[in-house]
Amino acid sequence: MNCARCLLRLQSVGFLAPSVRAAVQHAALLQPATALSQITAHNTCGQALRRFHGSPGCYKSQPVPTDPGEEHEDRIKKDKSLITHDDLFERVAREAKTKATFNRVVDVFSKRDIRRRGHVEFIYAALKKMPEFGVERDLTVYNKLLDVFPKEVFVPRNFIQRMFNHYPRQQECGVQLLEQMENYGIMPNVESKVLIVQIFGDKSHPMRKYQRIMYWFPKFKHANPFPVPLQLPEDPVDLARLSLNRIANDLDAKVTVYQMPCTDISESGEEITFPHVVGIQSPDQMELLAKHNPNRPVFVEGPFPLWLRKICVYYYILRADPLPPEEKVEESYDPERCFDYPLQLDLDLDRDMGDDDSFDVEDVDEGPVFAMCMTSQGDQATLNQWISGLQETNPTLGRVPTLFRLEAGPRELQGVADPGPGYREEGEEEAETDIVVEEEHQCSQGVKQ
Amino acid sequence: MNINRLIALSKSVQFGKILTSNARHATKEVTLPHRTIRTHARNLAYAKDLFLGKVNKAECFPYPEIGNEELEEINSFVAPVEKFFTEEVDSKRIDHEAKIPPETLNGLKELGLFGIQVPEEYGGLGLSNTMYARLGEIISLDGSIAVTLAAHQAIGLKGILIAGSEEQKAKYLPKLASGEHVAAFCLTEPGSGSDAASIQTKATLSEDRKTYLLNGSKIWISNGGFADLMTVFARTEVVGEDGVKKDKITAFIVERAFGGITSGKPEDKLGIRGSNTCEVSFDNCPVPVENVIGEVGGGFKVAMNILNSGRFSMGSAGSGMIKKLIEMTAEYAGSRKQFGKNLSEFGMIQEKFAVMAQNAFVMESMAYLTAGMMDRPGVPDCSLEAAMVKVFSSEGGWICVSEALQVLGGLGYTKNYPYERYLRDCRILLIFEGTNEILRMYIALTGMQYAGKILTGKIKEMKKGNVGVAFEMLGRKLGDALGRKVDLGLTGMDGVVHPGLADSAKKLEQNVAHFGSTVENLLYRYGKTIVEEQLILKRVADVLINLYAMTAVLSRSSRSISIGLRNHDHEVILYYTITILLIYNSPENQDENIKKIAREVLEKRTYVCSHPLDRTF
Repeated sequence: MNCARCLLRLQSVGFLAPSVRAAVQHAALLQPATALSQITAHNTCGQALRRFHGSPGCYKSQPVPTDPGEEHEDRIKKDKSLITHDDLFERVAREAKTKATFNRVVDVFSKRDIRRRGHVEFIYAALKKMPEFGVERDLTVYNKLLDVFPKEVFVPRNFIQRMFNHYPRQQECGVQLLEQMENYGIMPNVESKVLIVQIFGDKSHPMRKYQRIMYWFPKFKHANPFPVPLQLPEDPVDLARLSLNRIANDLDAKVTVYQMPCTDISESGEEITFPHVVGIQSPDQMELLAKHNPNRPVFVEGPFPLWLRKICVYYYILRADPLPPEEKVEESYDPERCFDYPLQLDLDLDRDMGDDDSFDVEDVDEGPVFAMCMTSQGDQATLNQWISGLQETNPTLGRVPTLFRLEAGPRELQGVADPGPGYREEGEEEAETDIVVEEEHQCSQGVKQ
Repeated sequence: MNINRLIALSKSVQFGKILTSNARHATKEVTLPHRTIRTHARNLAYAKDLFLGKVNKAECFPYPEIGNEELEEINSFVAPVEKFFTEEVDSKRIDHEAKIPPETLNGLKELGLFGIQVPEEYGGLGLSNTMYARLGEIISLDGSIAVTLAAHQAIGLKGILIAGSEEQKAKYLPKLASGEHVAAFCLTEPGSGSDAASIQTKATLSEDRKTYLLNGSKIWISNGGFADLMTVFARTEVVGEDGVKKDKITAFIVERAFGGITSGKPEDKLGIRGSNTCEVSFDNCPVPVENVIGEVGGGFKVAMNILNSGRFSMGSAGSGMIKKLIEMTAEYAGSRKQFGKNLSEFGMIQEKFAVMAQNAFVMESMAYLTAGMMDRPGVPDCSLEAAMVKVFSSEGGWICVSEALQVLGGLGYTKNYPYERYLRDCRILLIFEGTNEILRMYIALTGMQYAGKILTGKIKEMKKGNVGVAFEMLGRKLGDALGRKVDLGLTGMDGVVHPGLADSAKKLEQNVAHFGSTVENLLYRYGKTIVEEQLILKRVADVLINLYAMTAVLSRSSRSISIGLRNHDHEVILYYTITILLIYNSPENQDENIKKIAREVLEKRTYVCSHPLDRTF
C-alpha cells in the first residue's frame, strides 16, 4: 500500500513539474557527448554483460567507433573515466574504508554534476568497490546507488519507446545493480521499487528484475531447514558449541567444554597456550558406547571440515567399525513383554512386495559414531584430553582400545586461500581460521526474457 | 461433537453400497470353507469371527437375559445401594477434601460392595458379571468411590479369585469381601507401564527357600495408601527348561503386616480426587512362598488375565453416569427460559440430549451383552469385547459429560454444579485400565492374529500364484463390485432379528462381509508387519468397535420389540439413528428422529428406555 502511494505521489509530481522534465530532456539531448565514453568504458571494464535483445534501431542510435583514430581516442577517454571513478574511491580509501566514506563518495559524485554525467560508469565502479568498503550487504547503500540514476529521463513515454529497448545501457546497469544485490542475498525494499519506477518506469527491465527477485526471494527465504545464523559467534568455544549442535542435530545431545582456551606461562618463562576442547554427546550415543564390545577398538578420526558461511571449522569424531554380520544379535522376541497387546504377530506372512518400501540407498551401514569434538589443535595430546573427559561419563571407554587416525587434513583446503602447500605445520592449523573465499559473482543472466 | 465423532467413525466403516442381487450361489461358496472352522470354534467369542467376515450369531442373538429370580435378587440389591448413593454420599465433599469419609466407607462395606463378585462361601455377594455391571451403574455416580471399589475388587483381589489356591482364597477372601481388608494392585513402575521387561521390582528367594524378599517401588497404586493386601508383581529368577536362569515375573500376595512397606504421599489428581493414589515401596519385604499366586514365573499370565477381565464394567458405569446427567440436565433445560422459550425447545439443545441418549443406549447394550457373554458356562474369552466396551464407553462418556456441561453454559463451568466434577472424574476413563490407544492396538492385533492364523494358507497360495484361489478372490471382488447380496443368516428363514429391523440387519451383514475382505486384504499386504502400521490398526479397531456396537444395539432392540418392553418404540428410533451414524454414511436426514428422541427424553426428564435386564414375563 505504502509503495502504491509513493508511486502515485511520484506520478503527480511528474505531472506537476513539466519544467523538470524539460530540463531532463535537455540533459538527454546532451547525452551523445558522453555516450561514447560510457560505452567504451563499459566494454573494457572486463564485465561480460549479457545484452538485452534490443532492436537494431536501438543500437543504431548508439555511436559506434569506426576508425582506428577514434578508437585510440576512446582508449584515452576510457582510461580517464575509469581513473576518475576508481580514483575517487581510491582517494577516499586511503583514509578509511567504511560505509560513511563510501556514502561520501556517492554524495560527491551526485553533487558534482547536476546531469550526473558518467553515472553508469560510476555505478559500475561503485558496485565493484562495495565489498572493499564492507557495504555489499547494505540495502541503504544500494538504494543510494540507485538514487544516482537521473530520474524520469529513461522512462519511456510512448509505445514505440516502450516496445524497443529504451536506454539499454542504463537499464542494463540497473539490472546489474539488482543482480549484485541478488548475489549477496539482499532483498530490495519499497524504496528501491519507487526508485526503479522513478528511473526506468514500471515495465522496464530493472522493474522486471525487481519483480522476479520479489517473487523468488520470499519463497527461498526459509527453504534451508538448517539456517546458519548471520552473525557467527566470535568466541571459538561458542562457535564450536554452535557447530557441534549443528552436526549432532539432536536436542538431547549435551555439549561439554573439556578445556577453555587459555595461556599460561611455564616455569621456564615460555608461553604455553592451551587449546579449547569442546565435545558433544547424546544419551543415545552413550547407550551405544556402553553396548560396544570392548575387544573392538574405537577410532578417533578427523579432522573433517564444516563450513559455516565463510568460516571453515574442523571436527573430530569417535567412532567404531560396523559390526560384522556374525556378531549382530537379533533381539529375540519375548512374548511376555507387553501386558496389553502382542508386540509381534505369530504369523507366517510377510509384507507384500508392493508395500515393501524398506529399501533405502541412504541406509548404509557405517558403524556408530559415539561422540564429536572440536579443538583448535588437532594433535593426539589434545584429543587425548577429550577422550579422558569422555571416560568420566562413559566408563566403558576406559576398557576399549582407542586408536588415533588423524590426517593432515585441512592442508589441501587451505590451498584454496593460501598459495603453496605446507603453508601451515600439521596440527597447528586453527579450527576457527577464517578462510575467506572470494565469492565469485559470475554475472549470471541479467534478465531472462 | 459426538455426531462428528460418529460420522468420522462411520466414514471409516463406510463400505461399498450393494445395489442388486445376483450370485446367490456365490455366497454359499464363500461360506462353505469356513464351516469347518465354526464347528470347532464353539466357544469362540463374537468379535474375533468378525475379522473373518462372519457373524457368530449364536453368541449375540438373542440378547442375553437373566432369570426372574435373578432379576428380583439384583433389584433387591440395587434399591438400597441407590438409596445410599443418593442420600448418604456427598460427592462434593469427597472431591473437595480428597478423601472418602470413613462413615461412607463403612456404609459401602455394610452393603457388601467390597465383595460383589467374591463367592458366597467366602462371605461375598457372589454376583454374576451381569449383576456386577448393574451395580456398577449406581456405584459410578461417584467417581472416587467407583475407582476405590474397582481397585479393590476388579483388579486388587481378582488375582486371588482367578488364580489363587484354595488356601489363599480361604485365608484372604473373607476379610476382603467384608471390607475389613482393602486390596490394591501393584504393577506399574516408574519405568514400566505396559512393558513387562522394564519391571525392576525384584523378589529374591531367601536361603531357607521359605520367603521371598521384595525390593522395589511401584507408582500410581490406587488404594496404595491404606490397602492391607496387595497383589504385587516382581521379577524372580527362574531356571528354564533348558537350564538357563531367566528373570520372570511372579505375582505375590503381600500383606502390609509383613513389614518393609512404605506408602508415599497421595498424588494430587485432576479428577477422582477422593480415591487414594500413591507410590508404594518395598524394602526387603518378606513374603512367604505360599503367597505366590499361580506358579513362580507365571505372573505375566495372571496380570494379563486380571487386566483383561476388569474392563467390561466400564460400559455400564458410563451409561449409569450419563443417565444421571440426562436427568439433571433435562431439569435445567426444562426450566431455564430464554426469549420466552424453554431451552428444551431449541433444536441444538435437543440434539445434545439425543446424543446423550444414543450414547447411553449403545453403552448399556454393549455392556450387558458382554456381561451376558461372560456369564455363559464355559470359559469364553471375552477380553476383546470387554476392551471394545471400555474404549467406546470411555470416549462416549467424555463427550456426553462435555455436552451436558454445554447445555448449562457458564453455570456448568462453575463449582456450583457437579458437571465440572463429572468432567474431571470421567477423564480418567480414557487413561486407566489400559489407555484407549493401547486397547485399540490390542483389539486390532488380537483379531488380526486370529484371522491371520486361519487365512495364512489361503494367502500363501494366492501369493504363489495359485490360479484357483486367485480366481475365487477375483470372483468375490467382482461380486462385491456388482453388488452381490450378503447373507450371514441374521434375517430370513432362521433369522434371529425382528423382521422390522431386517433392513438394517442386512446392512450390518454387508459391513461385516466387507470388513472381512478388508482384513484379508490387509493381511495380504502387510502380513505380520501390520504391527508397525498403527494408524491402520486404529481404523481396524474403530470399525470393529462400531460393528460390535451395532450388533449390540440390533440385538437389544430386536429383543425389546419381540417381547414388548416398555418404550420399545423409543429404542427403535434410537436404534435407527445410531445405525445411520455407525454403519453407513447415509444421506438421510435424521433431524426428525433426533427431535423425537429429545422430545421424549425432555418430556419425561429422564432416560426413557427400559433397562436391558428388564423382562415382561
